[in-house]
Amino acid sequence: MPGCAGTETPTGEKMATQSEFSAPPGENSSRVGTLIRSRGDQLLVLIALFAIWQACSLWLGTYWVGSPWGTVVRLTTGVLGGELLSHASFTLAEAVIGFLLGGIPAVILPFLLRRLPIVTAILDPFMVGGYGAPKLALAPLFILWFGIGIESKIALVAITVFFIVYFSTLSGIRALDTKLVQMAQIVGADEKDVARHIVFPGAVPYIFTGFRIAMPYAIGGAVVAELISANRGLGYLIQLGAMNFDTTGVFVALLATGIIVFIGNTAVNVFERRLLRWRPPSDAKNQSGT
Amino acid sequence: MTSQDTALDLAQPSQVKWRQYVVTAGRIVLAILLVAAWKIGADRAGPIYVADPFLVANRIVTDTMSGELVHHVYVTLRLSVIGFAIGCFFGVVLPFLLRRLPRLTDAIEPYIMASVGIPKYALIPLFILWFGIDDAPKLWLVGLLVFYPIFIAVFAGIRNVDRRLINMARVMGASEAMISREVIWNSLQSFFFAALKIALPRAISATIIGEFLVGNAGLGFFIEYSRQNFDTTGVFAGIVIATALVLVINSVLVRIDRRLNAWRPTDRDMEL
Amino acid sequence: MSAQALLEVHDLGKRFASRAGRDSSLWVIRDLSFSVADGEFLTIVGPSGSGKTTLLNMIAQIDVASGGEVRFQSEVAPINDPKSLNPGLSCRIGYVTQEDNLLPWRTMLQNVLFPLVVQGRLNDETRARAEMLIRTVGLAGFENHYPHELSGGMRKRASLIRTLVYDPPVILMDEPFGALDAQTRTVLQEDLLRLWNLGRKTIIFVTHDITEAIALGDRTLVLTRAPARVAGEHKIDLPRPRDIRGILTDPKFIEIYQRIREQVQ
Repeated sequence: MPGCAGTETPTGEKMATQSEFSAPPGENSSRVGTLIRSRGDQLLVLIALFAIWQACSLWLGTYWVGSPWGTVVRLTTGVLGGELLSHASFTLAEAVIGFLLGGIPAVILPFLLRRLPIVTAILDPFMVGGYGAPKLALAPLFILWFGIGIESKIALVAITVFFIVYFSTLSGIRALDTKLVQMAQIVGADEKDVARHIVFPGAVPYIFTGFRIAMPYAIGGAVVAELISANRGLGYLIQLGAMNFDTTGVFVALLATGIIVFIGNTAVNVFERRLLRWRPPSDAKNQSGT
Repeated sequence: MTSQDTALDLAQPSQVKWRQYVVTAGRIVLAILLVAAWKIGADRAGPIYVADPFLVANRIVTDTMSGELVHHVYVTLRLSVIGFAIGCFFGVVLPFLLRRLPRLTDAIEPYIMASVGIPKYALIPLFILWFGIDDAPKLWLVGLLVFYPIFIAVFAGIRNVDRRLINMARVMGASEAMISREVIWNSLQSFFFAALKIALPRAISATIIGEFLVGNAGLGFFIEYSRQNFDTTGVFAGIVIATALVLVINSVLVRIDRRLNAWRPTDRDMEL
Repeated sequence: MSAQALLEVHDLGKRFASRAGRDSSLWVIRDLSFSVADGEFLTIVGPSGSGKTTLLNMIAQIDVASGGEVRFQSEVAPINDPKSLNPGLSCRIGYVTQEDNLLPWRTMLQNVLFPLVVQGRLNDETRARAEMLIRTVGLAGFENHYPHELSGGMRKRASLIRTLVYDPPVILMDEPFGALDAQTRTVLQEDLLRLWNLGRKTIIFVTHDITEAIALGDRTLVLTRAPARVAGEHKIDLPRPRDIRGILTDPKFIEIYQRIREQVQ
């Protein structure tokens, strides 16, 4: 999307219009040079970030800011010792189960409601309310109901995920191209065929947008519930580290959380790419993150 | 949304009207059913688990009259607004600065985008450790949570501004500042408002979550304190107020957005 | 028509880098030269892909040239360096682009007044001029409509008078009527000629439609395919004011048309 100007061979008038603001009288070498320079800059920033981290930990002491090296060491020993892995897998289990429990009904419901516009309209304000409501504020309630174990976290994750995915699926169904439906009906498709071959594939990108948005919320929700009350999980580790003034421990747990989010994102992306091979390589959709 | 619903059936106006009645009636019935289910749930599960809806309503009234709830709401709102202002300020100003520094933008963009993925709430214990137990850790949390959606929206918005409009304004003699204000800012508005609709309610829920974990006032404190004292009615009352607060702010934002962006062809479906 | 050239284009060239990996860069325009006299209506026809838009972008100074120069009243415009570009050459070159480029958040009237506002020239006199132009093109009554509430033809008119309102000495037009239906198009061509008769501005009008080029212009340049050069020059000595609808059957028109037709491949 950015920098597309002038990279195409100008075969037509439109191309020429697009290439206002292309690089000055284009030399290829200069463009490659720009790319190398920008990668170099990025590396420089990365080094600077680590330097600042190290400097902070030297200056303020590892008591306040765990050192980068210490964090890496603790991360490795934590993983090798299995302790960190067991906490991480606990959090991951909460997130995944909650994601499925909330996400699957959220995908199915709009399809069931597709032929029932009146029911959809009746539900609408309640769904909008549920979408807007601060679900994390329900954490104490779920802890009250389901105890401090895994169930309360799953419930919180599920309800958070549900509304996000519900609305993205709904917008996918609403964005349906009626011409495609008519075309299918003309060639003899019945209602079921239309749902399966037209509506669903068309909605898949929207559903995945919902998944991608919901993913960090699922992990975040699990961690928040653990912060409030738990005896296992990464949120518990973070809380524990903070209470013992063990910033390295906090960093390790945070890093592990970040890694889980990253893995989750990658998983969603890979899955999406497999399902959406038919889609033209379009510009990346920008969405607002966590 | 509604425009699309009505577009689906191009039926006679009378039928549309009839449909409207059914929908309204259905909504009322559903609302009553939900409260009834709540009431039955309360009777079945017992007051420890589910507070009676009427007792909750009663509690909200008495605590509002006594000023306790008002105080908590005020504390929460104050913090949300300050945190929001901080996050919003940086979220808007930074992209405009970066617009002038393309090289720096290229260099830091991947890191900013990577940091989006960190669950901000998980940072609260660290913030408490670093910044104490007063407002500071909560402000950091709220500020960060507000910063990201606004920053991303404004950043993407600036990138998406129609270059042709900028060129047109330049040809007509508009200065850089004028272009920023007239073309870029106006083009941004729909992006900005979409982000605002995410960020403002989020500021309030972030404050509440922060109050769960630290502090001795605010709605979050009220809910968590009630839970720890097995005061289920208090938990429910607090959650009802928090939800109502967020929903009211949501609807106000939607309304303002509609009015401010009257120039937009159609009310685009809210992008989630 | 005075002999004094108001705007001169000398050996202008533009090339784009090709896709990475291939080393030959593509010249879209090369060694293109022509000039426009004060008050002249110059039309330029060329096949699509002949870089007409790029040419106007360079003259309007929103795109850099890869070679050559543009002179306005013998003053050389800084066109070879992206940093020193002066879009619109200090409001002396107006540009009506292919798309209307109206600001969607401004009403029609606010859009027309926009250049006056940014130039700090909004006063009773200029406002009256804007109102006069709005009436002339038949947009009166639509002042408070947003662009999306106007038809394509109306938006086109608005974008046209938005440039006329600040009265730049030269106006560039890039197929302004390209996207319109034939009927609206003819009406707008008539409007344009009427407006031009009011002030006799210098106009460089680019189109791929030979009929339009002849009907409007004093002189028509024909461009070759990329890399674009001048393939031919035709003086259109049809009398003015012209009747756009009737001109098509004029034998002189037909003769010019055929001459140009042969040059446009």
